[in-house]
Amino acid sequence: MIEVPRRYWRNFDWPLLIAVIALIAFGMLIIYSASFSKQISLNRDPFYYVKRQAIGAVIGFICLAAVLIIDYRAWRRWTKPIYLITIGLLGAIFFLGTSAYGSQRWIGFGPLTIQPSEIAKIALIVILAKYLEEENNIAGWKILIPFALVSIPMALILLQPDLGTSMIFIGITFSMLFLAGARVKHLVIIGLTGLAVGCAAIFASMQGWIEIIKPYQINRLLVFINPHADPTNTGWNVIQSMIAIGSGGFLGKGLFSGTQNQLRFLPANHTDFVFSVVAEELGFVGSVGLLLLYLFLIWRGLRIAILAKDSFGMLLAAGCTSMFFFHLIINVGMTLGIMPVTGLPLPFVTYGGNTLMTNLIAIGILLNVGLRRKKIMF
Amino acid sequence: MAHLSRLTIQKRILILLFFAIFGSIILGARLIYLQIYQNNFYRAKAINQRSLAIPVDAKRGTIYDRNGIPLAVSVSANAVYAIPAQVKDKEETARLLAEILEIEYDFVLSRVSKRSAAEWIKKRVPSEVARKIIALDLPGIGVVENPERFYPYGSVAPQVLGIVGIDNQGLEGIELYYDDILRGTPGKTVFERDAAGREIPGGIQEYIPGEDGSDIVLTIDYYIQQIAQREVERAARETGSRLAVIIIMDPSTGEILANAIYPSFDLLNYQDYPLENRRNISVTDTYEPGSTFKAVTAAVALDTGVATLNTYFSDPGFINVSGWTIRCWLRGGHGSQSFVETLENSCNPFYAKLGMDIGGERFYEYLTRYNFGSKTGIDFPGEASGVVRHPSTGVPLVTWANIGFGQGLTVTPIQLLAAFGAIANEGIYSVPHYVKEIHLDGTVQGPNIPEPRPIMDPEIAKMTKDALRSVIANGSGKRAESPGYFVAGKTGTAQLVENGRYSHSKTVTSFAGFAPADDPKMAGILILWEPQGAFFGGIIAAPVFSRLVDQVMPYLGVKRVETGSRIDQANTVVIPDVLGLSPEEASKRLEQVGLKVHMIVGEGSRIEGLVPEAGVRVPRGTNVIIYTDVDYINTISDLPNPFGM
Repeated sequence: MIEVPRRYWRNFDWPLLIAVIALIAFGMLIIYSASFSKQISLNRDPFYYVKRQAIGAVIGFICLAAVLIIDYRAWRRWTKPIYLITIGLLGAIFFLGTSAYGSQRWIGFGPLTIQPSEIAKIALIVILAKYLEEENNIAGWKILIPFALVSIPMALILLQPDLGTSMIFIGITFSMLFLAGARVKHLVIIGLTGLAVGCAAIFASMQGWIEIIKPYQINRLLVFINPHADPTNTGWNVIQSMIAIGSGGFLGKGLFSGTQNQLRFLPANHTDFVFSVVAEELGFVGSVGLLLLYLFLIWRGLRIAILAKDSFGMLLAAGCTSMFFFHLIINVGMTLGIMPVTGLPLPFVTYGGNTLMTNLIAIGILLNVGLRRKKIMF
Repeated sequence: MAHLSRLTIQKRILILLFFAIFGSIILGARLIYLQIYQNNFYRAKAINQRSLAIPVDAKRGTIYDRNGIPLAVSVSANAVYAIPAQVKDKEETARLLAEILEIEYDFVLSRVSKRSAAEWIKKRVPSEVARKIIALDLPGIGVVENPERFYPYGSVAPQVLGIVGIDNQGLEGIELYYDDILRGTPGKTVFERDAAGREIPGGIQEYIPGEDGSDIVLTIDYYIQQIAQREVERAARETGSRLAVIIIMDPSTGEILANAIYPSFDLLNYQDYPLENRRNISVTDTYEPGSTFKAVTAAVALDTGVATLNTYFSDPGFINVSGWTIRCWLRGGHGSQSFVETLENSCNPFYAKLGMDIGGERFYEYLTRYNFGSKTGIDFPGEASGVVRHPSTGVPLVTWANIGFGQGLTVTPIQLLAAFGAIANEGIYSVPHYVKEIHLDGTVQGPNIPEPRPIMDPEIAKMTKDALRSVIANGSGKRAESPGYFVAGKTGTAQLVENGRYSHSKTVTSFAGFAPADDPKMAGILILWEPQGAFFGGIIAAPVFSRLVDQVMPYLGVKRVETGSRIDQANTVVIPDVLGLSPEEASKRLEQVGLKVHMIVGEGSRIEGLVPEAGVRVPRGTNVIIYTDVDYINTISDLPNPFGM
């Protein structure tokens, strides 16, 4: 089982791996551009963030390798413990977690901090794939069971609160149910119902009746509707991002030469708003190039899903791919002012060990499924 | 898992792929919108956000006199500014700057503590002080060159030029009226800064020059202005007047050649003078013109046919108007006079009668046509219109009688001068103006004022002009005559309103006229407010006009006429000035030079007037009337004040 037969290597998706390495390398370049001037002005190592990102990448690739060598089909057996551990970790945040920006998301282990909601996404994909493979009938009311399964970790994430990751959960769940044969009509009904409940919750929170959605989140939503409503605080980020992107123009201002980035008008420029740096310094050409690289990655991922040997593999691959896709849309959409501010990272490019590790594990899953695909190509 | 066909699953995966492509297209479309369609907008925003501009005022346009002499120019001066975000120790910086610049510590502290991009600390800083500040090298404090006004020929017509504020903006006068043209577009020094407002080492530092203001050329003639300034000051000092103005205009064009006002001020140090010294009262203030206005009444009377040159008037010394008595300044009256003689004698009852005969409706119509009661449209800010009450507002008849001899309405000096200009210029009214040329973008433009227009029949203008000439030749304005130049004009003395009634002691004495009478090259007006002692325009204002004519005419190239041919020089004498002497002594002096004392009017002990006037050259043996009992005041003190003030 640990052994990987030689014929498998012929199936290894090198283009996908190369695309991922390209994204990570590109990300490190942008992280350097976003951080060096401030680091220098603070008399700190200008490569600090780049080095830490490199360490994260090395750990991530180790995880990727670990995920790759264990046949994914063997994972079916571990779904119950995975589910319970995930819920346990998400629950532990409320007792052990550290908070930032109004929410508790991290648990510290010595020098390391882990973000359970990151790994929870992978767990969700594996659990859903297992359930959907085995459940023959989701065309009827049973379609609600996978939603129930998802709802427990999702509720814990919402309580942190982490609206962005919750949105990713919903995106992954809908994508996987769609591929598992759910009726589109049911998905639409559930989606609309969820939307209505969400709106009701927002409204109730704004009125102060309940406290599901925190004031800063409502603020973010309001700012999403009109960033100029609060141009100095919450709206500042979006306005600055749009100025950086818009002023970048067709060819950009040149790497390391983005004025809004280098002069620190652009906030969170090595994390949430890393795409704005790309768009400012490398322009429309660089931004579209990056988007095309992601589309390539999504295409390779969905190709692996199509070629998967079994439904479990197909669902795993599709789940991971949709995770990348929703991250891309929500993060880039946020920097462009067409999505609410949620603090979701841009996969492989945003600085951060946890998210890089999670994404590389997801790539490991994709490569794993790809390795063990059917022989026949069509 | 539900038993879907392989094909269905593939189809659904493809749908997901298209969904991803579709999502990316939306992101791409948004990128096109932001980065290409709105690129300029956001680029401007980005530049604006990171640049910190210190404005540098544009060089203000030069103001020249009509000969091209620069009266107001723009020169560079040092200005100290602060970039508050870069000022580290605010208290210490404020303390140092307050000490060196000799300004309030609290003021500097408030400036360097402001939440703004840049603040001026002090402008017009001497270069040695500026050097000290540069040497201190205080973070966030800098010195830039900023232009300021300088007056190379001193304060020439300061009330006309007006002052310029600390921010290079015209505050008064021509500087204000033509500010758009003179000001130009300010330039700036741009620094790049980061989000916290700190200057970026090695960041762009760029000077973006502004656009200099355009030059203008005044109608003012530096030399004539010098004459007027000298004479207005002399006249005011000699008569003890509180306020005095001289305006000299070219009647054929309306160009104002000189406009001098006493008391004056220094343009460079205007803060050291009272605010009222800066008013150009020629345009902004009104007064009751008094007898000078009789010229206007005469023109209206002739035009309406109420009187002709052949009209005779017997002046008993007073006239009754609906219960009020208007008395002549000469007690006992002037007796029988021709039309021209009434003007020569400045006979109030006759002009009161003319005012009534013309009638309110008609008088009002004419006054409106002569631009009384409304602005002339002169190129100067804050022009007053004066008050002429509309007949429909229930103006009593006595007011029209009063207006006949120049009380009961208010005019600006400029309005009256413009009317005299029309009389001098065959009835064509030229709007007075100060600016001759505007040099804008390589073109030369004229001032924006109304076109000249006929307001008076040329015949009527000529008759009035001749009558005004006669006033100088034979009447109350003899002292305005200048050797070799025929002057036409009219003297005037009006009482000032004090506490709602006409004052017995405070008068406005004036002279309005033009020269040479046959082809006028200059029209002028001289007004003295509250002269001490002798009030009569003929005595104190007319000689000033004579001196003006004597100096301005040669400058304008007008040749002196040999007047001697009219009177045999050998057989003429100049009437000596016997004012203030006792009647006995005066008679003795007059007889000594070969004159006859025809009669002594009044029972006073001092001579207060004589006809013909002192200083006039007359044939030997001429009869002279001496007055010991002249009513100085136009005896209307008991009349109601038409303005109800």
